[in-house]
Amino acid sequence: MADKQVETTGHQWDDEEGFPLQEFNNPLPRWWLYSFYATILFAVIYWILYPAWPIPGGFTKGVLGWSQYQELQKEMTDAQSARKVFDDRLSAASLEEIAANPQLLAYAKAGGRALFANQCAGCHGTEGSGTTQGFPILVDDDWLYGGTLQEIYATIANGRSGTMPPHLQAAGGAFSEAQVNDLADFVLTLSNRPADKAAAERGKALFMGDAGCHLCHGDHGRGSVLDTLGGQPLDHNTGAPNLTDGIWLHGGDRATIVQTIARGRASKMPAWGVDSGESLGRNLGPLAVKQLALYVHGLGGGK
Amino acid sequence: MKHEVFEKNIPLLFIGVILVTAIGALVEIVPLFYIDSTIEKVEGVRPYTPLELKGRDIYVREGCYNCHSQMIRPFRDEVERYGHYSLAAESMYDHPFQWGSKRTGPDLARVGGKYSNLWHQTHMRSPRTVVPESIMPNYPWLEKNTLNYGDIGVRLAVMQKLGVPYSDVAVAEAKADLEAQANPTADATGLRARYGAKVGQENFGGQPGRITELDALIAYLQMLGRQVDFATYKAQAR
Repeated sequence: MADKQVETTGHQWDDEEGFPLQEFNNPLPRWWLYSFYATILFAVIYWILYPAWPIPGGFTKGVLGWSQYQELQKEMTDAQSARKVFDDRLSAASLEEIAANPQLLAYAKAGGRALFANQCAGCHGTEGSGTTQGFPILVDDDWLYGGTLQEIYATIANGRSGTMPPHLQAAGGAFSEAQVNDLADFVLTLSNRPADKAAAERGKALFMGDAGCHLCHGDHGRGSVLDTLGGQPLDHNTGAPNLTDGIWLHGGDRATIVQTIARGRASKMPAWGVDSGESLGRNLGPLAVKQLALYVHGLGGGK
Repeated sequence: MKHEVFEKNIPLLFIGVILVTAIGALVEIVPLFYIDSTIEKVEGVRPYTPLELKGRDIYVREGCYNCHSQMIRPFRDEVERYGHYSLAAESMYDHPFQWGSKRTGPDLARVGGKYSNLWHQTHMRSPRTVVPESIMPNYPWLEKNTLNYGDIGVRLAVMQKLGVPYSDVAVAEAKADLEAQANPTADATGLRARYGAKVGQENFGGQPGRITELDALIAYLQMLGRQVDFATYKAQAR
């Protein structure tokens, strides 16, 4: 039975038994009501201060003039000016000068480490641990394009394209399956591994002759960085690997070597210091490339 | 009591509810069609090529959006990591858009050009080969499945109906354009005339003579975030 003090909405059903069904109107607690009014007030103040209401052609900008794009701009500028003292010194100094200055080097490497983790670690692994699936390890002293600061800088800035042509006829090359196998036997002997002697001899003749492997890998198969061709240094830009050191870019088991010779390889490293347009990569700016070069050089194998 | 009118008339109540809830949509959605920063045209943004469109369909089919967003927000941490914040124009031809709301994996709005095709091939087959810390599943079937693109013309026609400015020629030539983009030695004059000189024409999936689902997906991924040239793009005053 309804208490006489309780306000009702005026609806009433089923009065016959003396127990009318009524709809009460219980007011909300005061604290709730005033909190509610406070939120309305908050909203009105917010509308005045910040971007809020859509209007034809745009939206109300708010008296504070706040925008997320200006906020971003400010954060970027603040970060730049906080780093400016050291960044300016890095920009002015050569790679060699930075490497000789412990304070600058530590700063450059710290920045390089963050950049590497974001941009490079996807292929080269955390801290340059690399893979044996075509993405070079950067913690050893085996360099496809040279391991000096300048060479590493050039690699990062301009990217690299390591192309090994296919040799099997079926894949667009000029040699039979037997000849490809002979070449593989010879390549195995280069790193002192067991191979068919006669096949390796035939392979050597191809390597130094018709197949032209020595033109990039050198007279001793030691790769474009270390080897020579007829006494002349080789073009480092081919990135032809050293075949004698047991470090393999795409895998060094016989089957993989055969596949590499037969089908060829096309490895691509994106460019991080030029406006790349169609090719891979993104321009991170010379300062970032410098920091990356110093970081990679310091991973263990820098020359 | 006035609300008795609504309580005793179901159709009227129904109309009343619709009207009240519609206010939310009117205030929040309709203005977006008139605010400059949400409708600005940006140079370089183009409709997807047929191969990219197929790749996008595979992206949706495999549920990539469940873990990957395509929306770089205008915050310093995101801009430093991923590059320029996403523009509304960059997803103007997305039906449906792939902004996403969950980042178990990284944002992919600018993944194009970051990795080589070889990396994507290896990574789709087994992500942990190249990124040991990754928790992404393997997608080994993509390189095995031959791409089924018999319906590509119809797909473009549907996009055309949804407002994507494909020409009738582009719809008619969709199949040829798709095949040309996946083959580096094919004649791509028509493809480039329709989609611009920057369109990548490569053997994305790495299997000569075969167009697989992987070809389409990698073509799509390699295009993401690279249509607008941010060396020349100037943000309008906001």
